[in-house]
Amino acid sequence: MYSAQGYDSTMTKAFTKATGIPVQLDDDSTGPLLAKVQAEENNPSWDVLWVDGDTAFAALDQQGQLLSYEPAVQLNAAGQSLVPADHSYVPVSTTVMASVIYNSAAVSAVPTRYADLLGSQYTGKVGMNDPSQSGPTFPFIAGLMNQLGGESNGVAAGERCLTALKANGLHVFPTNGDTLHALETGQIDYGMIQSSAATGELLKAAAQPSAAYVPKIVNLPVSTLLPGVIGIDKNRPTANQAEAEAFVNYVTSAAGQAVMQTGDPTGDSLFWPIVPGVTALPGLPSFPTSYQKLNPYFWGPKESEVNNWFDTNIKS
Amino acid sequence: MVVETAAAAPNTARFHGRADRMWMTLSGFRAAPIALFWVVIVALLALPVLLFLIVAFSPRLFDQGPEWFTLSAFQQAFSGSLAVGIVNSLFVGVASAVVAAVVGFAVAWLVVRTDVPFRRLWSGAMFALLLAPSYLVALGWERLLEPQGVLDTSGIHPDAVRTLFYGPFGVVFVLAIKGLPFAYLAISSALRGLGEEFEDAVRVHGGGRIAATRVVIALLAPAIWSALAIVFAESVSDFGVAATLANDAHFPVATYTLFNSVEAFPIQFPVAAAVGWVLMGLAGIALLAQGWALRSRSYRVLSGRSRPARRIHLSPGARRGAFGGLTLLLMLGLGVPVFAAVAASLIDNLGTLLGSHGLTLSNYADVLTNGDVRYALLPPLLYSAQAAAITATIAVVLGAVVARLLTRSGPHVSARLLDLLLLTAVALPGIVFAAGYIFTYNQPVLSHIGLRLYGTTALLILGYVATALPATSRVLVGTVSQVQDSLFEAGRVHGSSAMGAWLRTVLPVLARPLITAWLLCFGATLFELPVSELLLAPGHEPLSVAITHVLQGYWFSQGTAMEVISVLVALAVVSLAWGLFRLLAPHGWQRVGRVNA
Repeated sequence: MYSAQGYDSTMTKAFTKATGIPVQLDDDSTGPLLAKVQAEENNPSWDVLWVDGDTAFAALDQQGQLLSYEPAVQLNAAGQSLVPADHSYVPVSTTVMASVIYNSAAVSAVPTRYADLLGSQYTGKVGMNDPSQSGPTFPFIAGLMNQLGGESNGVAAGERCLTALKANGLHVFPTNGDTLHALETGQIDYGMIQSSAATGELLKAAAQPSAAYVPKIVNLPVSTLLPGVIGIDKNRPTANQAEAEAFVNYVTSAAGQAVMQTGDPTGDSLFWPIVPGVTALPGLPSFPTSYQKLNPYFWGPKESEVNNWFDTNIKS
Repeated sequence: MVVETAAAAPNTARFHGRADRMWMTLSGFRAAPIALFWVVIVALLALPVLLFLIVAFSPRLFDQGPEWFTLSAFQQAFSGSLAVGIVNSLFVGVASAVVAAVVGFAVAWLVVRTDVPFRRLWSGAMFALLLAPSYLVALGWERLLEPQGVLDTSGIHPDAVRTLFYGPFGVVFVLAIKGLPFAYLAISSALRGLGEEFEDAVRVHGGGRIAATRVVIALLAPAIWSALAIVFAESVSDFGVAATLANDAHFPVATYTLFNSVEAFPIQFPVAAAVGWVLMGLAGIALLAQGWALRSRSYRVLSGRSRPARRIHLSPGARRGAFGGLTLLLMLGLGVPVFAAVAASLIDNLGTLLGSHGLTLSNYADVLTNGDVRYALLPPLLYSAQAAAITATIAVVLGAVVARLLTRSGPHVSARLLDLLLLTAVALPGIVFAAGYIFTYNQPVLSHIGLRLYGTTALLILGYVATALPATSRVLVGTVSQVQDSLFEAGRVHGSSAMGAWLRTVLPVLARPLITAWLLCFGATLFELPVSELLLAPGHEPLSVAITHVLQGYWFSQGTAMEVISVLVALAVVSLAWGLFRLLAPHGWQRVGRVNA
């Protein structure tokens, strides 16, 4: 199993204990895992791939590499929106990109929509991640584009929006951790990052209260769903595929969901469940009422082009 | 022991050819072992590099696209800012190589030849520099220079330095610092082998100090060029600085085009391979320059007659100046990352508005006690230390043979090709080099015959050896080029067997550089990241991968504590190795390269 989830080693141990099926886990960051998957194209050695974001899975599906599988569990509405028509991969949890985390000890203005961030009270105070270095940031930008102009006009509309944000002093940092560091040090007062990282920061701040730093989260409409996704390799022996399906069933069971919620309590465990009957961890804010699901088959192939544009026009 | 009655060195090409043959034959490298050596080189380096580069023309070969033959990858690679990137890469490579070689030479000369105070500290610092993870170097500077950073909050506003650092200057600076240990190790080994007699000869013939220095530099040419080439290749292939500092500074380098082609999924390996051809071309340019500079001269100065040089007594002013310069270098190269490490691992919440700022060792206790498996340090540290020790041993043996082949006099096509292959391996960023390994060793046909190397520790170590071999052999080239064949021949004349003669004559003079090379390779492998990520054996997490995980899981303090402990362990291995050498090695071995006080 190739996985980038913080709770994966706890999960594989629990799975082996529950089913007797041993798992060889290759736990790594998403980038190297996807590089391996691509380099192994003519002789794959993974049965299960489990990372955040569905665009890579859409690409693998188009290359004919994924096994269609539909676990018996009926997902909630947000979860169902994430399921691909051909069931080539299985969403098992979701976060959103981006949550706006702000230091309420330093600023009083709270945005209610993205356009607010263009106002003068936000000048030079807003930061986000670099999509070339932060995996979850391309889905955020694609979400903004999709929201502003759909699939037909979204790219241009999104580029205009980001250009305007830049004109208002938008800062770009490499990844979630760096944007949070900038927030902690007062270089920015508003950061647009992945919801799980924002929630983890709130927990960390609550454990070490400080009058100068009181982070809060607001989810602006429309929040883009960033699911945790499992795919099964189509080209592996049938026995391996059956075990992979058993793994998906276990993850989507109540027991599996409980393991996901305890395996990485300050990081990846801070997701919103899409399996009915499972409640989110107490640290999480309520699930955004206004959310959208991106079409990964449309937006996935645009990643290079959009990131290049961002490099040239927003980072300078 | 060192043979004192060496015959005069035969200097004509005819004699050299014969001596080479003798050396190879008598040292036990008969036809079969030499063939085996080439098989190993092909398996380790040639196949992975070539198969990766072929993907640029034939994506279909490894299911990386529909075409069996196409040039579209080159079209894509060259359509962007690659041309600008190539020019910038050339500039960055040359500038950082020259800076690293000049500074490396100065440090080596001060440490080896003068009575500058704290000499052990400076040579130890070079190893520490090699081990300092680049992310800590970058992070340290960031913490210092960033708005609201340490300097800003203490009332010093480093705006000008910040602007300077986030530009070509910063890129060259970081890469030169990273290249400095390679330059130092290559040059200091050769400098030790160069006795004082050549300087004396110049002085006796009426030459001044400057003339003597010129002769020393000229005699050290193979080591200096070796250092220049390796730092150049390391710099043009650098991925980390390309993606961060150079990118932020809008100073595109060639590897950035490659970065763009592998950052999004599906990864465009054909485009990356097209850039790989460009990087190989850059490595080729470096070799042409080296070949032109060293053409058909002999640098064989290390014989049984080499005598230890006297240490130069610096004047009080010069001592102070040298000490100040070395201290400044240490502060710039090591002080800043050490500061970052201390800040992150010892002090709670330094540089943030969060909670208290107490000094704590709890992060160290966390990672050492294995209380939480997510940041347990000991299993990956032990695993990587073993892998690094095996890698270093293999790489040093191969590196010695490679260095010998590269320093044979006269034109040898095989040596030139070997050199190009080694530098290309360096010039290709780790992630694509490792992808070449997957293309080569994950072939369905290999699985069919039951040879499943991919995903095993064995292949990971092969990948490590291939990554380490270029630098290892280049550190050895300087000294090996100095060894006169007469040494070995004298051993044979006195009745030793081939292996015996080699062990008793050549090994003693090479002992010190071999240990240096082993330690260099051990340290670099212990912290190697890209090959570790792509070739790891599931269930065995290498150290660098474990640390990366912990850092990415926002356990920043624990991750940095892991870094600090690992660097200390590596430095302890370095001290232990030199301590054992002093205790156990015969007196004659230690005499070579020693300088009389």
